[in-house]
Amino acid sequence: MVSQLNPAWQRKSASSSRLAEISARFLGETQESKQGNDLCQAIPFFLDGPEQRWITDELARILTERGHPCSACHWGDSNDPESSSPTAHGDTACATDAWCVLAVSSPDKLLRQDIDHVVLLVQADLDGVRIAYQRIKLLAQHGGPDIGIVLVGPRDQHAAWRYFRKLAVGALRYLDVPLLNLGFLPEQIAPGEDAEASHRHNFLARIGERLLHSGFYSTITTGAAQRGT
Amino acid sequence: MKLKIETAQNCDREQLRKLLLEASEQLVGGGNHVLEARLRWEGQPILLADADLHPVLVSFDPDSSEAALVNGLQGVERLRSALPWINQVYDPLQQRQQSARLVVVAPEFPPGAEAVLHSCADLNLLRYRVLSVNGESGLWLERLSGVAAARSTPKAATQVDAERLPEQASNDILPALSEAENAYFQQL
Repeated sequence: MVSQLNPAWQRKSASSSRLAEISARFLGETQESKQGNDLCQAIPFFLDGPEQRWITDELARILTERGHPCSACHWGDSNDPESSSPTAHGDTACATDAWCVLAVSSPDKLLRQDIDHVVLLVQADLDGVRIAYQRIKLLAQHGGPDIGIVLVGPRDQHAAWRYFRKLAVGALRYLDVPLLNLGFLPEQIAPGEDAEASHRHNFLARIGERLLHSGFYSTITTGAAQRGT
Repeated sequence: MKLKIETAQNCDREQLRKLLLEASEQLVGGGNHVLEARLRWEGQPILLADADLHPVLVSFDPDSSEAALVNGLQGVERLRSALPWINQVYDPLQQRQQSARLVVVAPEFPPGAEAVLHSCADLNLLRYRVLSVNGESGLWLERLSGVAAARSTPKAATQVDAERLPEQASNDILPALSEAENAYFQQL
């Protein structure tokens, strides 16, 4: 999907911070992990609300199945506004896995932690696209992260593409922000319905593959829940 | 019938609350629901649900527009954190988990209104007068638009008050769209 996009919408080229990040990832395996300060590859997702948590939970499970031990962490749903650390969800803990799908519900949390990648889950309707645009605008005002888009609830691939194109053209035209299309979850996919489980699994697996293949993640130190680079 | 309209003396907080509840349709539109007439938060705001099932926090103060605004911004922040719980507690929200809107009501518009309106997409600023019509009290409400704010607000005051806003609240509030952006997102 990435290669089908207009070149203007491709991710920014590797920057020095990105190279430093990659370098830290390899150095971390030999030095930092021995000091108990493990590096973790975090994929931050910005959620509209708690009803979307199944997406990050299930994506973490799929990544684990595919050989990337992964936790789902929720960040920003605490009542304590000062809370700055992600909390692990389920039986696994962030600190023990090499990968972490980080569900964030507050732009402030993202901006304070200087995360350099974020996936926006965008509801496939005009209101959803407009709200996503406002979020992108807010992030851009603060020199924001690379932004990937997953459309939630379009009728089919064609509809998903129309919504993505509307958002991507607007973001590029008015904000000069390129967006990365990471895929979509069609409307018939919902949590908790066994009959849809394999269908759901396929769409999420495809999104997971795109995330990994495009290097769309950040390196954080799990000890301090801060970015590692 | 001959109408006799005159300004009434300013009312206290509880009288203002009663008048605002009666004027809820003017504040948030028809089809609204009163969820809490008095939240036990700073400023004791009112919590409503509008026809689109967004929770709406009405923060007001009979004396200080700044207190109404700051209490409102803090209230919206708390509301955002408590959204899942609020959706469970109040049936009229139908578990939609919609984002909260803020309505601030005070005798005057707060200083720095322009900056605040520009950074808060879901904010309405209103000033009020208490009027007596044939002996019945009611509220006259005036809504501030971004353009009116630009005309009425000294720039220096704008800058000072924008800095005073809680950092987290301003980071979490979505920026407003320009006219061109609004037009672009009117249709697919």
